[in-house]
Amino acid sequence: MSRPVSAAQWEAYLDEALPPEEMAAVEDALRRRPELAEALAEINGRRDAGIYSLGGIWRQTRLTCPTRDQLGSYLLGALPEGFCSYIRFHIQTVGCRYCAANVEDLRRAGRDTEATTEARRRKFFRSSAGLIKRY
Amino acid sequence: MGQSPSTDAILIQRIRAGETDAWNDLIKQFEGRLLAYVFARLRSQSASEDVVQETFVGFLTSLPNYDLSRPLESYLFSIAAHKLTDHLRREGRRPTVPLVSNKDSQGTWDVAGRQRAASSVMRSGERRNLEIEALSQALRQQIEAWRSQGEWTKIQCMELLFVRGTSNKQVAADLGLTEQQVANFKFDFLAKIRKSVRHQKLPRDVFPELHESS
Repeated sequence: MSRPVSAAQWEAYLDEALPPEEMAAVEDALRRRPELAEALAEINGRRDAGIYSLGGIWRQTRLTCPTRDQLGSYLLGALPEGFCSYIRFHIQTVGCRYCAANVEDLRRAGRDTEATTEARRRKFFRSSAGLIKRY
Repeated sequence: MGQSPSTDAILIQRIRAGETDAWNDLIKQFEGRLLAYVFARLRSQSASEDVVQETFVGFLTSLPNYDLSRPLESYLFSIAAHKLTDHLRREGRRPTVPLVSNKDSQGTWDVAGRQRAASSVMRSGERRNLEIEALSQALRQQIEAWRSQGEWTKIQCMELLFVRGTSNKQVAADLGLTEQQVANFKFDFLAKIRKSVRHQKLPRDVFPELHESS
């Protein structure tokens, strides 16, 4: 990361919400400078005390995340230019991990073979279905 | 942000009723995006699949407590984030962060120039959720207004300032604006949100950023 880490980015780090390369850079900084963990502990404390950061609420409630359908239309180039350019900004500049994952999944849907996907889903189902019960 | 909460709620109610087909549907619908989220960090297919598997197990374990008003996709991502963090800690990649600061044995925090004790803003989880909902509603209203007017630059400006924590100067450079324009957008935005928060009679001290100078 060329720019210094902002308080908003520290907070996003705690939520595993920064882009992967920034997460790795923060982890590297924490290993080299253990005193930085103190700053993170303070952010944890503020959150536990119920003091909100506007950016944290914006990110956690996903105020500006496009819907999955809109992301699909974005990939097809079927959105108006203004919105299209905003989505690009949201994913690439803001680095929204959740939207990036959705876009990657939509792209991959056309690449993975059906057999691979089905085998994976069956594995997930078999390892968890035993926990289903009536509530 | 995934499907509308009502569609999610129907799926969850079917799973709560013990329908394994509904569980299969949920896996089919969400495993790909969860896998992409985890894989972006781990870059290992088998390790990522293990984390997603733990996410689904974690979801079923927490199902009795799941709040149907919460968007399902966000809830699943938050479980995946926890499982991913645990995995990275086990691998020694993610340093452990203490839950509380050691700076002050009383557990107090300095907040935006005001000397306040954490206990003075300790509130019930329910109260906190109401406050978060009220603020996000105020933010959503303003964002929707800009969106409908095609004011994308203003949204980008606020997102960089608050979500990324980028400085006014850098935001101006990134978006091709003057610093004065950025300051004006921020001032107007905060004034509108403050007004909405006041209107809803929410405590001023739980949103310190709203009262800082731009």
